[in-house]
Amino acid sequence: MEHTLRAYDEELDAITAQLARMGGLAEAEVADSVRAIVKRDVKLAESVIGGDAKLDATELEIERKAIRLIALRQPVADDLRRIVGAMKISTNLERCGDLAKNIAKRALVIADSDPVTPLTGSIEGMGELVIGRLKDVLDALGARDVDRAVAVWSQDHEVDEHYDAIFRELLTYMMADPRTITACAHLLFVAKNLERIGDHATNIAEILHYEITGVELTEDRPKSDALEAYGR
Amino acid sequence: MNDRGAGAFDTSLTAIEPDKVKLDVQNLDFFYGPNQALKNVTIPFADKAVTALIGPSGCGKSTLLRALNRMYALYPGQRATGRIMFDGEDILRAGVNLPMLRARIGMVFQKPTPFPMSIHDNVAFGVRLYENLSKADMAARVEEALRRAALWEEVKDQLASSGLGLSGGQQQRLCVARCIAVRPEVLLLDEPTSALDPISSARLEETVTQLKADYTIVIVTHNLGQAARLSNFTGFMYLGELVEFGETAAMFTKPATQRASDYITGRFG
Repeated sequence: MEHTLRAYDEELDAITAQLARMGGLAEAEVADSVRAIVKRDVKLAESVIGGDAKLDATELEIERKAIRLIALRQPVADDLRRIVGAMKISTNLERCGDLAKNIAKRALVIADSDPVTPLTGSIEGMGELVIGRLKDVLDALGARDVDRAVAVWSQDHEVDEHYDAIFRELLTYMMADPRTITACAHLLFVAKNLERIGDHATNIAEILHYEITGVELTEDRPKSDALEAYGR
Repeated sequence: MNDRGAGAFDTSLTAIEPDKVKLDVQNLDFFYGPNQALKNVTIPFADKAVTALIGPSGCGKSTLLRALNRMYALYPGQRATGRIMFDGEDILRAGVNLPMLRARIGMVFQKPTPFPMSIHDNVAFGVRLYENLSKADMAARVEEALRRAALWEEVKDQLASSGLGLSGGQQQRLCVARCIAVRPEVLLLDEPTSALDPISSARLEETVTQLKADYTIVIVTHNLGQAARLSNFTGFMYLGELVEFGETAAMFTKPATQRASDYITGRFG
């Protein structure tokens, strides 16, 4: 139902729309950064690095609008949860952008060294998985769909497992051929960044769940501990 | 969001222990002649806590408040059925000593109602009806009441001047002082700040916050921010029914009913 004061709805909708645009932007940045690694595309990497400023600016703008709305409208109940949720989600998206930027910087270094094709293939696979999760949770956000958010949230372990596999794979390559260490070390960070982006997707799912239902998602998610042995 | 609509009384939010309940309204129906203004209202009011009653105009919140000290008994044709248990005694039954009841359950109205007499006499007026105090004891009682109503510092040098000369906000706090001077157990406030400016409202709110350590306070308000700031529990009423009741923090972050949610978020259509 609409608010009696229509300007209130317009302000809330403006923030939601901006958050949706920011989500699309973050998703594209992450996808481009992975593509820059895989295709050894320096230009694409540079555009990702430059594009991060736009995400930062959007986050700031959402925060300003949210603070203004809280000050002027004193939102309560679902309105309050929605506005706090928007602020938290935008922070998570901004972090995704930072991580994409970091991946893009490493793409520049990797493009300078010899190709390690089988490895970049694994990174590409993990990238697809993480981008898929980010896309799913952003779709859930757009549709305000709790079930889809819960689905993303409960699949967090898939990304963890992927990361563990890549970690082992990279160690094997580095031991076999020390000349690959520089590239592999960077790819290790790329994998770690992707894993963190997956965590942000999970965070967004949790925030969205609380925003819509007013109940926190607290059950323990299935976790992968395979890396404990490596002292992660 | 649970969409249970109107009429769904959510008891899951309430966790008032029975021995903390000072006033317990049970299945209260209220009639203005042929018109039923309250329908089967059941609501507990906790001791040493503020309970806010909110809802759109005509929802019955003032009627409920006026039932709590049988203020309605002044008017013919108005009647209540059900029970209102006050320290284990049903105040709706016949034979209740109404003046004594109203000494124990005091009320402050929407508009300040100072008597055309001095500030001191305004506060002493009620006390004289119930107690015979020496001049010194009365002066002490008046000072105590004015201090508790956060008015003492402003009026201590002009106790002999007329209460009508005070500002609206001061007059309202004078009425609070008059009410608490008789040492009631329950304080009923019917939109006490609706005629006050923001500063006076804030002062009165601060007074209520101080008083809740010792009293059971029930406040009817149209100011939702005030309900959120002041109260421990909130009851949302609509068309004579108590739609939702619970802890204020829960009501304002996650109301259980769509009707209450629509009202507090400003979506009431």
